[in-house]
Amino acid sequence: MSVPPAAMRRLMREIVELKNSPPEGVRIITSEDNMLDVTGIIEGPEGTPYAGGYFRVGFKFTNEFPAAPPKCWMATKIFHPNVSTAGEICVNTLKKDWKSTYGIAHILVTVKCLLIYPNPESALDEEAGKLLLENYDDYCSRARLITSVHATPRKKPVEFETPSAAASASPSTSTVPSTTLTIPAATPTTSMRKSPTPASQPLQSSPSNTIKSMSSTLSEGKEHVVSPSPLGTSNANVGGAASSMGPAPAAATKAVKRSAPTAGSAGAEKRKKALKRL
Amino acid sequence: MADTKMDVDEAAIDEGLYSRQLYVLGHEAMKRMAVSNVLIVGVQGLGVEIAKNVVLAGVKSVTIYDPEPVTIQDLGTQFFLRKEDIGKSRAEATLPRLAELNAYVPVKLLPGKPGQALSVDLVKGFQVVVLCGVPHSKQLEINDWTHANDIPFIAAETRGLFGSVFNDFGPKFTCVDTNGQQALNGMIVSVDKDQEGMVTLLDETRHGLEDGDFVTFTEVQGMEELNGCEPRKVTVKGPYTFTIGDTSDLSEYVRGGIFTQVKMPKIIEFKSLRESVSGPELFISDFAKFDRPGTLHAGFQALSLFRETHKRLPRPRNPEDASTLVSLAKKIDADADEKIITELSYQASGDVSPIVAVIGGFVAQEVLKACSAKFHPLVQHLYFDSLESLPSIIPTEEECQPTGSRYDGQIAVFGKTFQDKISNHRQFLVGSGAIGCEMLKNWSMIGLATGPNGIIHVTDLDTIEKSNLNRQFLFRPKDVGNFKAEVAAAAVAEMNPDLKGHILSKQEPVGQATENVYNDEFFAAIDGVTNALDNVTARLYMDQRCVLYAKPLLESGTLGTQGNAQVIIPHLTESYASSQDPPEKQTPSCTVKNFPNAIAHTIEWSRQEFDALFVRPAESVNQYLSEPNFLESTLKYSGQQTEQVEQIVSYLVTNKPLSFEECITWSRLQFEDKYNNSIQQLLYSLPADALTNTGQPFWSGPKRAPSPLTYNSSDPVHLSYIIAAANLHAFNYGLRGETDPAVFKKIAESVIVPEFTPRSGVKVQISDSDPAPGAAGNPEEQDLATITKKLPSPASLAGYRLTPVDFEKDDDSNHHIDFIAAASNLRAMNYSIPIADRHITKQIAGKIIPAIATTTSLITGLVCLELYKVIDGKNKLEDYKNGFVNLALPFFGFSEPIAAKKNKYGTTEWTLWDRFEFNNDPTLKEFIAWFKNTHKLDVSMVSQGVSMLWSSWAGKKKNEERLPMKFSKLVEHVSKKAIPPHTKQLVVEVMASDEDLEDVEVPFIVVRI
Repeated sequence: MSVPPAAMRRLMREIVELKNSPPEGVRIITSEDNMLDVTGIIEGPEGTPYAGGYFRVGFKFTNEFPAAPPKCWMATKIFHPNVSTAGEICVNTLKKDWKSTYGIAHILVTVKCLLIYPNPESALDEEAGKLLLENYDDYCSRARLITSVHATPRKKPVEFETPSAAASASPSTSTVPSTTLTIPAATPTTSMRKSPTPASQPLQSSPSNTIKSMSSTLSEGKEHVVSPSPLGTSNANVGGAASSMGPAPAAATKAVKRSAPTAGSAGAEKRKKALKRL
Repeated sequence: MADTKMDVDEAAIDEGLYSRQLYVLGHEAMKRMAVSNVLIVGVQGLGVEIAKNVVLAGVKSVTIYDPEPVTIQDLGTQFFLRKEDIGKSRAEATLPRLAELNAYVPVKLLPGKPGQALSVDLVKGFQVVVLCGVPHSKQLEINDWTHANDIPFIAAETRGLFGSVFNDFGPKFTCVDTNGQQALNGMIVSVDKDQEGMVTLLDETRHGLEDGDFVTFTEVQGMEELNGCEPRKVTVKGPYTFTIGDTSDLSEYVRGGIFTQVKMPKIIEFKSLRESVSGPELFISDFAKFDRPGTLHAGFQALSLFRETHKRLPRPRNPEDASTLVSLAKKIDADADEKIITELSYQASGDVSPIVAVIGGFVAQEVLKACSAKFHPLVQHLYFDSLESLPSIIPTEEECQPTGSRYDGQIAVFGKTFQDKISNHRQFLVGSGAIGCEMLKNWSMIGLATGPNGIIHVTDLDTIEKSNLNRQFLFRPKDVGNFKAEVAAAAVAEMNPDLKGHILSKQEPVGQATENVYNDEFFAAIDGVTNALDNVTARLYMDQRCVLYAKPLLESGTLGTQGNAQVIIPHLTESYASSQDPPEKQTPSCTVKNFPNAIAHTIEWSRQEFDALFVRPAESVNQYLSEPNFLESTLKYSGQQTEQVEQIVSYLVTNKPLSFEECITWSRLQFEDKYNNSIQQLLYSLPADALTNTGQPFWSGPKRAPSPLTYNSSDPVHLSYIIAAANLHAFNYGLRGETDPAVFKKIAESVIVPEFTPRSGVKVQISDSDPAPGAAGNPEEQDLATITKKLPSPASLAGYRLTPVDFEKDDDSNHHIDFIAAASNLRAMNYSIPIADRHITKQIAGKIIPAIATTTSLITGLVCLELYKVIDGKNKLEDYKNGFVNLALPFFGFSEPIAAKKNKYGTTEWTLWDRFEFNNDPTLKEFIAWFKNTHKLDVSMVSQGVSMLWSSWAGKKKNEERLPMKFSKLVEHVSKKAIPPHTKQLVVEVMASDEDLEDVEVPFIVVRI
């Protein structure tokens, strides 16, 4: 599949950027004889049942890129409501909300966010969705099992030896407020891998931390034209978004957009209760 | 249209022939066309262009009238006349060639004698009357009668680079569909109970309605009076809201509902020509020339007066005749622009093919509008010109004198010197489909490449299919199966024998694989490229090649009644790739998989289902059988190993059918699985009455609650699914199919269908503490081993293969579209979505681009008007025009091409047309050093094609290895492929940063090896 020269140039630029200063928890593998053959690796975020896993994301670029999104799929088995058993990923960013300014980094960060905030209401794997809604602990166990069996290598992928943009950044630069984010400047030291979150505590482990570190990652690279609300799954087009969107993604979106103070564990508690009502 | 009712001919429309056009006009409009008899008076260039397009489109009959003898000058635009015809009656000579175009449309001759005046008696009995090049006084006489008798009337004329059209479809013409757009619809979330009932749309989806549109509703809960209500008039309040009048006496709105636009007929009141002359309704064809229609309105009348007084047209570039014409025009309209009238006089005796194509395409669509009442007719006068196409050195009077050649009509406008340039031009036409055929017709008429140095290369990999014959007018039924480029080249060399030996056809498609054919020498020997393509990939590729070789590129495309033409000029305009239409928004996969709410979603799903059932499994089986270590190597990296192996086992062993009956059983079970069990399972996970946390029903808004289907042989959709699926399954195994419905009914009804109980969720048996990492010990891998054992070894099945289905939308007997339509409709029934017929399903699933000859003809004319400028070598942006048209509205728009964007590194400005050039195959080290030393640029990455030759993170070893390599060696080393011998230069890209460590964009690099 050929990609027009301008798009190819963009990809090159992105690859250079992703190789030199990758966002937190996200890396790429490239192939010298074919730059279009890009595979993303997402480190399972701490505090989620995916922690410890490394998830490969396949990319296929068409000649319409970047006007149209690349085809993207999860190449590592995962138990997640928004990823079908065949690996399809349901995020609006990859379909109807795609913008030509988005690129590989944006997609990978979006999918990483999706691992932290699954959206059971636009389920591709409705069994995972059902389980997440009905029995959160069971969902976590199952997801953890699948992660350990299919996604956990004996050794961390070599790509992660390169430090992330956030990790290598000096505090002064990472507190510079980004133009796309209105989050109060986060303490730059909060990096996800370093955060002392006990593994036994699943999702409710301080999402605010996660977001801060992610935001600092994002605000870092000027090349990342990453819009920080990547969580819209297909439900985002549902009327009165609040009425049909689960509180979880809503909270997440808020947290990212407005740095909602409730996004801490209190928010997670609410969320759990709400889910049970469903 | 008084007597049309009696004539109604219920003969079915040939969907094979008219396929692409049906997607433009629709069945209803075509049925109305099938009862219309069209008269075309005057069959010189313009008349034959109109007749050709109308015959192709399909009306009841076309009658032509033109008893005048053929002259040599006619051959310059009348593509159906030959030298041998000179002296014969134009209509008689034209008729047989016109009649060949469409077996469904009889072409008739209205007899007459040379010099015989047209009379009202002659035009009686037709539903549409078209006059081409008829004097104004005659137009008035005929129009008085047609207007009084409610017969649509069109008068059209081309003079040099000018054209004129007048429409009078009668005092009260009913247009049933003014724009041809699909009726809008959308989901709503509220309707106020109010005097001005406000309707609000779901989640910021734009309704797209305009004030005065009409809507009705379905599925509204609460305010149920709205469901199926009489169309209500809309007032737009915002992009997501509109009001529908008084709703205060209706019930309270609860939730849900879909609005659907109702297209209302529009009555258009046309003035007669006599009335219209003094108070004309002028259509603006180019907003940059807003005062020109007024001038030309007077000019064309003056021209007619001149002709009647002098019994001839003004002579080419003759000042005396021009001043006579100016004074005539000034008497009609004192404000008429003298310069324009002078130019009209200069060119009046000329006729050029591109203008004929523009006006002819336009008028033909107007004829179809008159017959079908579909699309908004022109109201009422159109004047068009392309004076910008004149060469920058204006020819002298002497140069424009007739020479007794077929090009006299063009020489009268452009002069002999420019005619010479045209004849020695060298063009490469990429594609010989609809646009390609029209292009070649124009080129042959204007004498392009007929000179000693002229050459036309035309390539097309396709062979001719039946559905092409409806608009690719160089092809006849006997040509079906032959190569397009070859047939087209022969056809136009026959139209203008001067082309013989100057047109070469090829079958090699353009692309990387054929760069040995379309190589440096090839491009060095052409002056420009014209694209006549139907896909973005090839367009982008040719664009890239034209940038590399700095050749002008003429680009165009059509979509139904819409079309555009774009000019790309080296070092001046942006290129094709610089701006692209945004692609269609894609549907999220969960909408397709679980929450469809529109037929497009179910069609997308069924298209995937088609691949998942009839293509991919057979391919996997074949790969397993033919590729050594397929299971170990390929599958291992797919992340789907177990599923894939299970599928191979199923297709190759456990579910392999031995008879067609077993295929029927299989398809019956597929029905159960997909349209019953899966739905039950989904409802088990997400019950129909589930509530969200806010107490709203989960299944609401765009999520429509599904319900399982119970199989019933007497439901035609159910049965057609069984028939199509069983036949396609049988095809995979090379089993003979069957089409007798009785057989399917009998077997399908006897299939024992296992009882289904939803899987009760995925209970997690293993506790957190014993995750089973590591490889061999885990249960799933053991499963895999067990399954794999069931597979026969490839050796034991030597030579055995399944036959994957190769999707082909245009074969009505292959069950492909039948399956997709049935599967999509069953799923639509699951979700209570209105089902779609086969025709609509075929368009969406087959991604068919609607097409009609009228648009193609017009757009190609616009391209050729730009080609004159390319040949002239114009070098200012404002000399060129990109064009956009929509014949349905109608609409013309022109714009100056966009200038190539200026980029900058250091103090150097550059555009996409600039490049760095290296000779003598430098080493990577020299290359990088050159950027550093000459431009103070640090290179961080070097690439060629898709190969990443070097990057700053490459590591020490690679640096040492690669820096001393010459480029040719480096490319072969990284790509692991030999550079083909015909490749003399490599296109290289770099990422670079300047002294301030800022990334900068730099031009591409040509490295000669």
